[in-house]
Amino acid sequence: MVVLRAGLCPGLTEDMIQLLRANGIRTVVDFVSSDLEDVSQKCSLSYKALVAVRRVLLAQFSAFPANGADLYEELKSSTAILPTGSPSLDQLLDSGLYTGEVTELMGAPGSGKTQVCLGIAASVSLGLKQHVLFLDSTGGFTASRLYQMLRAQTEDEEEQAALQRIQVVRAFSIYELLSALQELRDRLSQQVVSSMGPLKMVLLDSVSAVIYPLLGGRQSEGLALMMQLSRELKTLAREFSLAVVVTNQVTRDSGTGPLKPALGRSWSFVPSTRVLLESKETTWDKGTTQRVASLAKSPRQPTGIQVELDIG
Amino acid sequence: MQREVGTLPLAPALRARLAAAGFQTAQELLDTGPCGLSKEIGISREEALEALQVVRQECQGDAARTAGESGATRRCTALELLEEEQTQGFIITFCSALDNILGGGVQLTKITEICGAPGVGKTQLCMQLAVDVQIPECFGGVAGEAVFIDTEGSFLVDRVVDIAAACVQHCHLIAEAQQEQDHRKALETFSLENILSHIYYFRCCDYIELLAQVYLLPEFLSEHSKVRLVVIDGIAFPFRHDFEDLSLRTRLLNGLAQQLIIIANDHKSAVVLTNQMTTRIGQSQSTLVPALGESWGHAATVRLIFHWDNSQRLATLYKSPSQKESTIAYHITSHGFRDVQPPAATHSAEGTERNPRKRPRTEEEEH
Repeated sequence: MVVLRAGLCPGLTEDMIQLLRANGIRTVVDFVSSDLEDVSQKCSLSYKALVAVRRVLLAQFSAFPANGADLYEELKSSTAILPTGSPSLDQLLDSGLYTGEVTELMGAPGSGKTQVCLGIAASVSLGLKQHVLFLDSTGGFTASRLYQMLRAQTEDEEEQAALQRIQVVRAFSIYELLSALQELRDRLSQQVVSSMGPLKMVLLDSVSAVIYPLLGGRQSEGLALMMQLSRELKTLAREFSLAVVVTNQVTRDSGTGPLKPALGRSWSFVPSTRVLLESKETTWDKGTTQRVASLAKSPRQPTGIQVELDIG
Repeated sequence: MQREVGTLPLAPALRARLAAAGFQTAQELLDTGPCGLSKEIGISREEALEALQVVRQECQGDAARTAGESGATRRCTALELLEEEQTQGFIITFCSALDNILGGGVQLTKITEICGAPGVGKTQLCMQLAVDVQIPECFGGVAGEAVFIDTEGSFLVDRVVDIAAACVQHCHLIAEAQQEQDHRKALETFSLENILSHIYYFRCCDYIELLAQVYLLPEFLSEHSKVRLVVIDGIAFPFRHDFEDLSLRTRLLNGLAQQLIIIANDHKSAVVLTNQMTTRIGQSQSTLVPALGESWGHAATVRLIFHWDNSQRLATLYKSPSQKESTIAYHITSHGFRDVQPPAATHSAEGTERNPRKRPRTEEEEH
């Protein structure tokens, strides 16, 4: 909803704008959707001038339709599939994480979401030598564990270089997170060559930790901010060909209901792939590193398939 | 800046008015100026000026960060974090088995949650940690102060005196065995009165006082910069009674968790919370689970569950970013939190301080 301003397009003068505003037309949408004959009579402006202005505004502000074949060609050349470091998880995700999409990992506390994220960061940084951005909102990022994982994967002295390719940003509130994403967008669009090399992956652990303090009660502001965040993530993924991975919590309806993903129905439309992580045993006495990952939502694979993971 | 109006930290009513007036990016707001803004939206000029100041601050922060300065963001590479973590100390618990499963002790900059049935030893561990955080660095401690926020009224000074006396005794014995100069110098300041004077005690009676205390804590911590431990004994108690609106409770708890993790990170201190247990009634059986619901389980970074096995107390590490799940046994003696006596070392009685199981620790403490 862009406000009409002088100089927005040739032919739109200050006097015209004052007259239009006096009749309740303030934004481009108001102008384009109103009946021009009516407007020209009420504002005593020339009909031809209004039609010309409308044509220019439409050309400036509307989206262009794209051909399906062109879109496919573009996707083929710009999409990459990043391996997650765990062959069973790759199999679940149809050979890996696709760039341009948002993937979600959900699970109960202690189910291994942060471990899987660390594993993905290690694999992308070490194996593919790409840069990774890790947005930490829970304080669960432990560099020594990441170092341990890297040491297990390679014998050469490459761990230092791999660690330097992983940038960690700690954002504990929604506004800090939005600032960090905005800053990332500015840097990528200006292509500032700094220590941030070719970025391919953004991990956000976890999205529910920053959104939960805003939801509930009778405020709708929480939902608005959540949708703003989802738009930022999707725009980043699509425009700059990044793979975005977020982690989410699970909740229960009542004390004994089944587990369901947190953040509600509105958020469930945001990620294109959702993976649920669970422990194999139901009791918490046995200490095991085995987990079960099941596919809850995917655009490519049938849902419900399960694989076993080892997060040890 | 191309920052969208929806992402700026303004009041929701103001944001709604800006959206209705057609403003999309922060740049448009800055271009309009306070007078134009107050006329367009219908707010007073002072409010418009305030809003524009917030916007300008955010955009300047963004610009500084894009240009490469660190500013206020907590941004670094994983390598720098690794170096930081390796030089960070742990707060030991005097029970070496528990320290082992935690990876060295209670970690700084993380939230540790201790859940357990009544009487299993949660408050004892909290009091032990409040004393242990003050152990000087030459003995392997962190040399910090402690903040103790009590909601249940279970903090007993006499017990802390016992624990502190045992700790000071232990350090004296190490100093005698090692005979080093800095050990003796450190012991001059490590006395009972000193320990007690460095535990800052707050008593909160309901959840509003608790929330207020936690939100005021950053100011307190910037004045007392040596604080390395914040204990909240009984975070479940004020939230479990008199709460009709459960979604409000979830929202407050999550906001509290985020505030605590900001405190832990900015002031490099450990946050320890104790939680109660509740029964989940299933179809065939009922289990004891930590209270405050599913979403609270994600708030803590490290979760320990204390439980009984006949008459033996056990501690299970249930959630940790770097350690595996495991269970150990522990003991609570008159001197505080201790290991379980191994059956082989039967000649060492409980009252004496010179225990063979204590000797391995002195080797660890030499850096």
